[in-house]
Amino acid sequence: MEFDKKSLLKLGKLARISINEDNLNNLSKDLNSILEFVDQLKEIKTDQVDPTSNSLNQKLEVRDDKVDNKNSTEDVLENAPEKEMDFFVVPKVIE
Amino acid sequence: MKDSYTLKSLAVLLENNKISSKEVTSEYLKKIESGKELNCYNTVSQEKALIDAEKSDERRKSQNLKSKYDGIPIGIKDLFCTKGVTTTASSKILSNFIPNYESTVTQKCCDSGLISLGKLNCDEFAMGSTNKTSFFGSVKNPWKSLNSDNELVPGGSSGGSAAAVSGDLCVASLGTDTGGSIRQPASFTGTVGLKPSYGRVSRWGIVAFASSLDQAGPITKTVEDAAIFLDIISGHDEKDSTSSISPKENYYENLNPDIKGMKIGIPKEFRSDKLPVSTQKSWDECADLLKTNGAEIVDINLPHTMSALPAYYIIAPAEASSNLARYDGVRYGLRVKGNDLIDMYEKTRSEGFGDEVKRRILIGTYVLSSGYYDAYYIKAQKIRSLIKSDYVEAFKKVDAILTPSTPSTAFEIANEPSDPVQNYLNDIFTVPVNLAGLPGISLPFANDENNLPIGLQLITNSFEEQKLLNVARNIEKTINYSETPEKWWLK
Repeated sequence: MEFDKKSLLKLGKLARISINEDNLNNLSKDLNSILEFVDQLKEIKTDQVDPTSNSLNQKLEVRDDKVDNKNSTEDVLENAPEKEMDFFVVPKVIE
Repeated sequence: MKDSYTLKSLAVLLENNKISSKEVTSEYLKKIESGKELNCYNTVSQEKALIDAEKSDERRKSQNLKSKYDGIPIGIKDLFCTKGVTTTASSKILSNFIPNYESTVTQKCCDSGLISLGKLNCDEFAMGSTNKTSFFGSVKNPWKSLNSDNELVPGGSSGGSAAAVSGDLCVASLGTDTGGSIRQPASFTGTVGLKPSYGRVSRWGIVAFASSLDQAGPITKTVEDAAIFLDIISGHDEKDSTSSISPKENYYENLNPDIKGMKIGIPKEFRSDKLPVSTQKSWDECADLLKTNGAEIVDINLPHTMSALPAYYIIAPAEASSNLARYDGVRYGLRVKGNDLIDMYEKTRSEGFGDEVKRRILIGTYVLSSGYYDAYYIKAQKIRSLIKSDYVEAFKKVDAILTPSTPSTAFEIANEPSDPVQNYLNDIFTVPVNLAGLPGISLPFANDENNLPIGLQLITNSFEEQKLLNVARNIEKTINYSETPEKWWLK
């Protein structure tokens, strides 16, 4: 697999990052170079190996399901780029 | 380090009333001002630091100290959320973000009475090895080569944290390490950088990069200070479900440099013709020194070492692409107006993130996407198992492993390779340690022919920080490395 214009634009859509057409060549060069680098792993046999997602040998603790919310609505909205009453404001979604 | 304060030495001076917290804090604020050219700090908390220092002096007067280290000024990587103090992760997308909560680690620092001087520059979202990806510009290494006046990289991503300690713009600092981001800059700046075991220190309130690899740790002037600082920040935290429940030790109190009978492993896979002669020499000399001090040197194999870096560059971007999905211009941070919701997301993220962060998000999105998940992401996780079992086998034979910290000493900012993969190679010796979740420390051993610091790395088994610090202390005590950079920025 190589990153061409079409696949890069699709990837940009998936990642929600708009990709500037002027930058497509450099970006595809960089990403192809990274992909080539990680592709060397294909040579290593791993059929009998289990994946490791986390190095900690510990059962993840589950906390009690009780309300402990110290954040106020005001706190949560404090950094919002745009807000109205108790809501975050985003561009119109439904017509 | 000569003529500069350490956590240990300053605690004694404060205790004996030779200096007040306000005096030493003012002294450091002046040093930060005159060291502006190094670009270490994103935010200087001038007013808050002085108020906190006065409060500390009052506590001292009323014999109500929070700890022995109450009143000592430190610096904090701009990746830790600090209540009321801008936290940017050195990114445009967070450049206006003021958290209303405090990370567990920085809260622990407050609870011990440490004074924050401000927030330290780093690579954007901790992605980089030279500090060049910061939205606020590169940090400059306080060290310069004998033969040139050109500016050098401090390493990264905790470049500001390492340079600030090296240039004495704080007594000690906090960094984070996902693939070498504490140890590599420590190596480039002649400082001590400790990455604890995964789970030893809480990640709560730290801007997340790759959650299964990230760990916070100290950058200090001495191994003793690293032990003191680890005592302050480590321990279980119920807010981080991956923080370990195993009890922490009193690392400083139990620091014991006796290494008689210990076995130290030298992994042959870390040897390379490309390693500078001076680095190889330091590595050999350190092994000889440990032998003289009573340890046995054992050759070991870590057969999957060369697979660690490619596996890391699948796993870390995959986790990053998920973690950074939260920056969408809705709840905090930058928003760029768009025609509709999706357009707003895309424009915000395109303008808010720098090139390296975008590359990693795109690669991460790719390796997690339908059709490629097994071939890349699961494959890399399987390699991770192989790397981990290499170390499990090794630690059946040895107590600690000794390697170089980095494949070179600090290089010129202007000479940074433009190919991302060439940059990734900076972390070749440090990345396997994160994948296996082990503790590692980089300490300065000698200076090379250009008078630049060479760092060596020690690695022990998970949660054997005490042993790690003991061996490091043995080396430190024997060589007594005390080189400091010439303060060219004062001229």
